[in-house]
Amino acid sequence: MLDLIAAMRTEGPRQAINLWWQEMVDEYDRRESAEGILLALPYLLAFVGFMLFPLLYGLYMSLYDWDALSPEQSEFIGLGNYQALMNDPRFWEALWNTIWFVILSVPPLVVFALLLALGVNRNVKGQTVLRTIFFSPYILTVSVVALIWVELFAGEGGLIRHWLAFVMEDPPRFLIDQTWAMASIAIATVWWSIAFNFIILLAARQNVSDRLYEAAKLDGASSYRMMRDITIPQMRNPLIFVVIITFVGSFQVFGQPYIMTDGGPRFATHTIVMYLYTTGFAGREFGYAAAVGYVLFLILITVSVINYYVLSENE
Amino acid sequence: MSTKSILNDIRNGETFENQDARNHFLRKVALYVGLYGAAFLFIIPYLWMISRGFQPRWQLFAAEPYLIPREITFEWYSFLLEGTPIVRWTVNTVIIAGGATLAVLIVDSMIAYSVTRLNWPGKRVVFSVIVASFMVPGIVNLIPVYQIIVELGLLNSYLGVMLPVIAGPIGVFMLVQFFKDFPDEIEESARIDGFSTFQIYTRLVLPMMKSALTALGLFIFIWTWNSFLWPLIILQRESMYTLPIGLVVLQDTMTAQQPGLIMASALFASLPLFIVFLLLQKQLVEAVQMQGTVG
Repeated sequence: MLDLIAAMRTEGPRQAINLWWQEMVDEYDRRESAEGILLALPYLLAFVGFMLFPLLYGLYMSLYDWDALSPEQSEFIGLGNYQALMNDPRFWEALWNTIWFVILSVPPLVVFALLLALGVNRNVKGQTVLRTIFFSPYILTVSVVALIWVELFAGEGGLIRHWLAFVMEDPPRFLIDQTWAMASIAIATVWWSIAFNFIILLAARQNVSDRLYEAAKLDGASSYRMMRDITIPQMRNPLIFVVIITFVGSFQVFGQPYIMTDGGPRFATHTIVMYLYTTGFAGREFGYAAAVGYVLFLILITVSVINYYVLSENE
Repeated sequence: MSTKSILNDIRNGETFENQDARNHFLRKVALYVGLYGAAFLFIIPYLWMISRGFQPRWQLFAAEPYLIPREITFEWYSFLLEGTPIVRWTVNTVIIAGGATLAVLIVDSMIAYSVTRLNWPGKRVVFSVIVASFMVPGIVNLIPVYQIIVELGLLNSYLGVMLPVIAGPIGVFMLVQFFKDFPDEIEESARIDGFSTFQIYTRLVLPMMKSALTALGLFIFIWTWNSFLWPLIILQRESMYTLPIGLVVLQDTMTAQQPGLIMASALFASLPLFIVFLLLQKQLVEAVQMQGTVG
């Protein structure tokens, strides 16, 4: 394409296009090209229609006071939605709640997954059973997870409070206590989502060559040194992948608070995606909600890039 | 590691011949306690779900909860089957997850084959854009895609839930990675023997890619079966709900707390995938690990 533009300058447009066309004819077999494009077309239609176009359409919507019933009557308000967003304390509250959830959920999701993966990778008895147990929550839907944990955390007849009552005076009222609600959601999330990280890290650990450890043992390295100097550096890329994907996932938490607490008590578990959902589908403010989506997108890209640089530098 | 050798370790440990053996022994004990302790904690939510769904009312509402039921009842399950549309929801979920999986497998394998084996103008740009879209979190598109679905008149339809799944880039990416590493000599010789591109694709490529397609299919099926936010906004009629939506609505519409019924519905909804999981665990592990290599 750049060649074409350059040629237009030197050769004149007509000549340039002729040359370019000739090149295309020489380089590509006509039949093969037709078949190739035809095979790619069905996916590309879906991709353009439900991924690429919406991405631009969303940006467009976010600049309007969008009328969901008759979009043509929407009023252009420029960056008005973004401005309103920045001035809405509820948005900041939701953002803070989401960050709090990320802080509570990401470290255990990565660290425990790593510990479990390293443990299961040792020659322990019942390896297959352990792997099956830790991996199994992967196949559950968020509704099932949330409903089970609501029952476990329940004040009346809940197992956790019942058991805690044996060891402490007044166990927390998990989901209805403002300080505990988000932590309770994080606990349920860790149980549910650790499976993915666990399996990725287990595979990563199995890809580390045994020879490295044998050599280190001959040199008399301690297991701590082997962990620090072999295991972690060798697993770096999968670890970075897991950290980034866990961050991105936790930032988008929705189902758990939606089902377990409905954002409460007193908005303590109202997250960004819940905010997007409520403004969009309860408030019918589509332009506003689209703007929330874009802000979240920017946040996620920033967080991923920071993660990537921090983790890759840290060698 | 057999029980015998563990017992040997313990015996060795007890004599504490030297510091090393003792440390080794203690570390092993810590490892087992840690792993099996974690496994026990992991199982409790399952036990709770299964147990509560079979408990009669007096146990559910007793002052002290029972982890192990004293007496078993099937009343919640019979109510679930007769008094709620859960069978209908299951059928909806099967249709949506099955349809999306089939569509993704066909469409993604076609473009993956085209991108790795055929030469056409613009191919590289197109593929880079698909790969880049991997960075786009689904949530950004929630509102615009909803608006598009509404305008296409696909609200409350199976297709409305399936289309955004089909547009996802992960399958294309997974299959391209897989196709790339596959030798193309067989295809070359088939072409010389006069096979058409279509024949090569259906008779050679698809059978050879069975393991990758199985992994991708499993992943998409589970993903769609479990997805929550999309069907929640697209399916607004009770008869169209999928299981994840139906379960939550069921809980909301109960006038009084019905832990037995809710836990029965949770078990019912997860049972199909549990069976798939136990039968195809190996392939499922592969599917997850393929995503790891994608990143």
